[in-house]
Amino acid sequence: MTAVAEPTTTTSSSTTTPQRPQPPKPPLRAYLGLVLIAVAAFAFFWWTREDTSVLFLPLGFTTLWAPQWPLIGFLVMLAVLGFCWFTRTGPMGALGALSVVIVTYWAGSNIYFLDRIVDVPGRLTGGNTRDQLIGYFNPDWQYLLFSNVAGTSRPIWGEWLITLCMAVVATIVGCFIGLLLAMAASPVSSPNKATSQTIKAANSVIRSIPDVAWALLFAVFIGSTAYGYGALAAVLALIMFNIGIVAKLLGESIDAIPLGPIEAADASGANLLQRDRVAVLPAVMPSFISYSLYVFELNIRASAALGVVGVAGIGGELSRQINRMSQGYENVGAILWALVLVVLLVDLLSLWIRRKLL
Amino acid sequence: MIKFENVDVVYPNGFKGLDDVNLNISQGEFVAIIGLSGAGKSTLIRAVNGLVPYTAGVLTVGETVVDPKNKSKLRKLRSKVGMIFQQFNNVGRISVLNNVLIGRSAVTPTWRSLIGWYSEADKEVAFQSLERVGIVEKAYDRASSLSGGQQQRVAIARVLAQDPEVILADEPVASLDPPTARKVLGDLRRIQQDLGITCIVNMHHLDLARDYADRIIGMRAGQVVFDGRTEEATDAVIEDVYQRSLTAEDVASLDAPISLDDLPEGATVEDLEEAVAAAGDADGKR
Ligand SMILES: Nc1ncnc2c1ncn2[C@@H]1O[C@H](COP(=O)(O)OP(=O)(O)OP(=O)(O)O)[C@@H](O)[C@H]1O
Ligand SMILES: [Mg+2]
Repeated sequence: MTAVAEPTTTTSSSTTTPQRPQPPKPPLRAYLGLVLIAVAAFAFFWWTREDTSVLFLPLGFTTLWAPQWPLIGFLVMLAVLGFCWFTRTGPMGALGALSVVIVTYWAGSNIYFLDRIVDVPGRLTGGNTRDQLIGYFNPDWQYLLFSNVAGTSRPIWGEWLITLCMAVVATIVGCFIGLLLAMAASPVSSPNKATSQTIKAANSVIRSIPDVAWALLFAVFIGSTAYGYGALAAVLALIMFNIGIVAKLLGESIDAIPLGPIEAADASGANLLQRDRVAVLPAVMPSFISYSLYVFELNIRASAALGVVGVAGIGGELSRQINRMSQGYENVGAILWALVLVVLLVDLLSLWIRRKLL
Repeated sequence: MIKFENVDVVYPNGFKGLDDVNLNISQGEFVAIIGLSGAGKSTLIRAVNGLVPYTAGVLTVGETVVDPKNKSKLRKLRSKVGMIFQQFNNVGRISVLNNVLIGRSAVTPTWRSLIGWYSEADKEVAFQSLERVGIVEKAYDRASSLSGGQQQRVAIARVLAQDPEVILADEPVASLDPPTARKVLGDLRRIQQDLGITCIVNMHHLDLARDYADRIIGMRAGQVVFDGRTEEATDAVIEDVYQRSLTAEDVASLDAPISLDDLPEGATVEDLEEAVAAAGDADGKR
């Protein structure tokens, strides 16, 4: 049976392989223009630099010197251009790569990123970094499992339960409202353009306020409640946070659904609500479930961050422990490790649910 | 039943989709609309249920004048005018039964639709519709898991669940292979005759139009250029509609003028029909 196949393969490999089309060479002139851009960027960085250290390049017959960081940046730019030329990338692609280098350099130099990061090893060896690391890696499980919140009779593990409950409530309420807002925001499912634009604007506002800021706002509005300082504020903050995420992501999913079924529902005399229910909702249901599970995971993490503003749940305990860190890092370590574990578990759980449901 | 009086459609960009169309389609007729791509077939069909608003003239369905501006009147009209699409337009992720129940939307209270709790009577209507198209055993399958021909049957059942007086079909079999296309069209024809429903169907295949329609309407550049009984739609007349001589593919299954040398040895009728369909598809893209 190979008798048929073999002669063809041997002949084709023994004779010269046929000429294959090559990717076209990018125009040299465009690349010269790109080099000019790189030179201009170099000049700009040289001119605006604040760091005065210089780098010497001994070339044998003479020694070149140039400001250290701009020169390194320039060499990286040239290397990127050279690589693009070698791989025959088109001029627009090369321009993109060059822009990434230039913008990164510019952004990094404004915050002295490279200058400062070289200090970090020195800082790590000095001070109490060593003690901290030892503390984090020797978490005090005893504290986490058996002790109470300072000054109360509530066990620490109960705070985990509260965090979980906050996350559940926030996810369910937030995702449901987010779904309604997404429906109202997408031109596909909203009653008219004005509604869609208004809701979209409101969504942007909700999203642009970070969750910690929401928590602070609500804590001021409602103050502490009988059930502990700020648990309600935290849940409300998480709800706003969830609405922002779900309305945005789901709104985009709705924009992208096929329009045929919607037209079919229209043609059979369904009204707007019926149409959205029968033709839009089923199409975005998988995305909605995915986003909700993701948001639940975010909530567990975010509620730890919200602890910084003194709310209930494990986040509150974490911020209390951070405040008395001078007495040891083992407690903070235990909470952080447990947080990693819980988030991992939630992730596994949502993976499992997704597989079962979709 | 359906009456076009000097109907114009001007699209928002100023393009004239229908130009002074006058038609009178009576109850229970099966009308095929033919014409080259861009002739205005879809525009004509969509004007009937207001998916495309007409801009001049008077368009009457039954006793009611179609009023594209009045949303609630339009919904009422659409509840009696079912529409079938080339791409089926089923909701893929829900069951066949729920797809058919979409056809009951107009007579279902909104709250029932919202929680997805349809009355037993509505479900019975849906089952009967599925029975008519012969896929009642697929009722609880996901619509997306069905074959093309079955999906188009689901769409027909959805329309039947509306208890329609008129069925509009925009190239209902253009995505199906030729034998399936004939079966689905045959189903539609049979049901239409059983229930006395008026049917307007866009078609690309002249042979299908001749085999199933009572009456053929030819369109060119937004105008009706031929309107007559199927027997009157001779090759010469159709050539006038198309503004070109009929090619072998246009009339293949009538006179089989495709050279037999073009077909592989042992070719079956299906092969022939496939060749015709391929030619028809190419036609649509031209
Ligand atoms: N929304 C629209 N806006 C502007 N022009 C349109 C619009 N829809 C259709 N047209 C134009 O109207 C003309 C008729 O379109 P129509 O869809 O009715 O053709 P058709 O006969 O159904 O063609 P096909 O066989 O390809 O489906 C075309 O020239 C098209 O470009
Ligand atoms: Mg069309």
